Amino acid sequence: MTNKLEVRNFSKQFTSPGGPFRKARAMHAVNDVSFDLPAGRVIGVVGESGCGKSTLARLILRLIEPSTGSLKFDGDDLRAKTPTQMRKLRADMQMVFQDPYSAIDPRYTIARAVMEPFEVQGRKPQGTAVEEIDALLTMVGLNPGLAGSFPHQISGGQKQRVGIARALALRPSLLVLDEPTASLDVSVQAQIISLLEQLRDDLGLTYLFISHDLSLVRYFCDEILVMYLGRVVEALPDTDLPARHPYTATLMDSTFAPDPKLRRVITSLEGEVPSPFNLPPGCAFADRCPGATAVCRTETPILSALDGHPVACHHPL
Amino acid sequence: MLEVRDLEVAFGPVAPLSGVSFSLAKGETLGIVGESGSGKSLTAMSVMGLLPLSGGRITAGSIVFDGQELTTLAEPAYRKLRGARLGLITQNPMTSLDPLQKIGPQVDDVAVLHLGMTGSEARARTIDILGTLRIPEPQLICDRYPHQMSGGMKQRIVIAMALAADPDVLVADEPTTALDVTVQAQIIRLLDDLVKERDLALVLITHDMSVVAQTCDKVVVMYAGRAIEHGPVEAIFDAPQHPYTQALIGCIPKGLSDDEHLTGIPGTVPTVLNYPTGCPFHPRCLRAEDVCSTDRPAFVQHGQSAAACHFAGAAP
Amino acid sequence: MTSMTGTAARAMAGFGGTAVGRAFGSWLGKIAGGFLVLLILTAIFAPWITPFDYAAQDLMNGNAPPGWPHLLGTDQFGRDVLSRVIYGARTSLSVSATAIAISITVGMTLGAAAGYFGGFFERAVMTVVDLTWSFPDILIALIFVAIIGPGLTSTTFAIAIAYLAQFTRLTRAQIVRLKRETFIEATINLGAKPRHILLKHLLPNAIAPVIVVGMLAIGDGIVLEATLGFFGLGAQPPTPSWGAMMSSGTAQLFLSPWVIIFPGVVVAVTVIAVNLFGDELIRALDIRDRIRGA
Repeated sequence: MTNKLEVRNFSKQFTSPGGPFRKARAMHAVNDVSFDLPAGRVIGVVGESGCGKSTLARLILRLIEPSTGSLKFDGDDLRAKTPTQMRKLRADMQMVFQDPYSAIDPRYTIARAVMEPFEVQGRKPQGTAVEEIDALLTMVGLNPGLAGSFPHQISGGQKQRVGIARALALRPSLLVLDEPTASLDVSVQAQIISLLEQLRDDLGLTYLFISHDLSLVRYFCDEILVMYLGRVVEALPDTDLPARHPYTATLMDSTFAPDPKLRRVITSLEGEVPSPFNLPPGCAFADRCPGATAVCRTETPILSALDGHPVACHHPL
Repeated sequence: MLEVRDLEVAFGPVAPLSGVSFSLAKGETLGIVGESGSGKSLTAMSVMGLLPLSGGRITAGSIVFDGQELTTLAEPAYRKLRGARLGLITQNPMTSLDPLQKIGPQVDDVAVLHLGMTGSEARARTIDILGTLRIPEPQLICDRYPHQMSGGMKQRIVIAMALAADPDVLVADEPTTALDVTVQAQIIRLLDDLVKERDLALVLITHDMSVVAQTCDKVVVMYAGRAIEHGPVEAIFDAPQHPYTQALIGCIPKGLSDDEHLTGIPGTVPTVLNYPTGCPFHPRCLRAEDVCSTDRPAFVQHGQSAAACHFAGAAP
Repeated sequence: MTSMTGTAARAMAGFGGTAVGRAFGSWLGKIAGGFLVLLILTAIFAPWITPFDYAAQDLMNGNAPPGWPHLLGTDQFGRDVLSRVIYGARTSLSVSATAIAISITVGMTLGAAAGYFGGFFERAVMTVVDLTWSFPDILIALIFVAIIGPGLTSTTFAIAIAYLAQFTRLTRAQIVRLKRETFIEATINLGAKPRHILLKHLLPNAIAPVIVVGMLAIGDGIVLEATLGFFGLGAQPPTPSWGAMMSSGTAQLFLSPWVIIFPGVVVAVTVIAVNLFGDELIRALDIRDRIRGA
């Protein structure tokens, strides 16, 4: 199996310069992240707010430049591309955004929005523009009669379908899905997930799926990366595997089943994700971890694989 | 403790809420679950008597709290109840706290106002409550401002304010929606413990069926401004009668097998301006027949739960 | 929440015919808009509707009170006040509109570039532009008069510079806000060039409030033109201008008050109409907070 993406030692540091009234601060939004995304697979990146998952998505698409690290797309060094080369390549790697409400220009009709990719790339669709609009809208389960509508005239779920149609217009091979259902109602969320599953089968797409919802990631993805404060703390090669990192275990315990017979005894993990600014040395989870020892507060654990299930913990479960 | 019957709410000519009924005893948690625009937050505001603030009013039905009718209660009397015997926790803790005031005085005020305590008595009580909410170092927290705290901690302060006057009923409107999953779990556990320890009656309003399954004793499912099914939580999840309830449960991945397949519910949630006639769910319902678009279904008791569906109880 | 974004989106999508139509919807809008349309038509067709030549002197008939055939009377040189007020509309409107058009063009370009590119360029542009704001309009006009002499050209440039800062700041604020919208990131991710982002997304979405503020500024421009004319820095005789007419009228204020009253009333009514109609436009477009935020 070839790798669609090879991410190596990705780091992104945001710095806010100091001034007369505040100290300079550095934030490691993404810290030493490496993974392979094989073609045709779906990898889920799960974590809470501030874990760097959305930054990671934007680094991979070079919407933000990483501080360090290398990135290969179809075996090709993506970071060596000039802006012009990159603009052409973007046709092959697209993104679906979290907020469908602001993902379409309010002045654009649906038809114009889904045809914009062709305009931008200077390409012509296979058939006529009308045929292409019909085909794209039908593909994402929208009535082609909506082509003349403006974004404010359609629902959030329909907007997200337009976002997907726009992303797929140029027939990319990689789709980065940044919380595509987080701002939708549950009944609509399930529709969109089902559509994405079907499109993956029909078009042979590779997905990177970013979400805070562990049960959704487990349902939708083949592999899972768990992120905490900018680092991958565990890589589950199979979604059914039990957690080895205490943080992953906490996430699993915090996710409820839709069945009163499967009620959880909620473990007493206290505290919250600390500020990502100027992190102390050692494991970032040490302060909240029930099993933390002295070594956890001095040495940063490295993501290391035992039997193909990597975990970054001094005392894996 | 709290009994709501056929509640109907209107904003001018539109009636975004009608036919909502439920009852709640001490030590019970009732879940009101629904998607956006289902009227669940309006139900909370009706119970708290806060509708006039946004220009709405109750046009029919009754709300009886501890033997007292609330729909006809005058605002000054309501104000005494609110905060004292009815506590409210809102979705966004940032808007429930005064950003310019320290935490301590904000919580103290509730006890001073409703229990007639002196400042120092109230402060002792505040520190005591913050302690029971497992807030570390309550004395120090009292001197902090809201912006110095995390989202989960702010939500705990809001809960502390709701509890300060020792209410009998707590209404929590999406109390964990703005929070991270691990923090959500902590808050849910906290609310669970409070119900047991203080014998509270908790109305938990949420869009999340998993949260309902985890915490509630009874459930009211709402759709397009109406209650469409209610009953004990086990019955609702084991044998949902209304097709919407069935579909809503089916929208959540259970992760039990690889064959599982989510389909969602076709169509979109209606807004108050285009509520369908007949059964509000009929345009999206796979089992709908002609009668569903014309006649509003009445509640049919089936086992322990009741559903407003023409085909409730019939084998699906 | 959704409905709010909906209204805003509708307002943005519908700028043009429908928004102007909605602004005409209220009775205030009808009166104010109707007056402005009438004024513009009068200015355009001035040669055909003026009863007398605006420059023709009739010294025997100087300072004649309103009556027949001089409906609004004559000035000290016996020139017909009505004809001069009508031609004055031409001067006032064209000077003010030209000045604001220049101001909008330059201001939008500078503001868009500053907002889009940011960094040092943005700071440099905004500093210079803010400097122009801190000079009194009269002083700017005097500088132009010193360089190219008094006249309508100086007036036009003075008004253009006086409003430059406002349009630059407003456009910059719009662009900075729009840049954070997801659809901009999405379009960049489609491989769009900066030119496409700027011309197809940022500017079209930023234009509505700029146009409305521009319209309000035309009203202010008329006042400024009249002020400069009053001080003799604007239109030179015999070109009629409302300000210059009032200035020449001061000498005979008690002898023939109509010479100063009628142009004054027209200035006041025009400015009120412009502001009322602008308010209706703001309401129709639902952009009040976007204008205030700049």
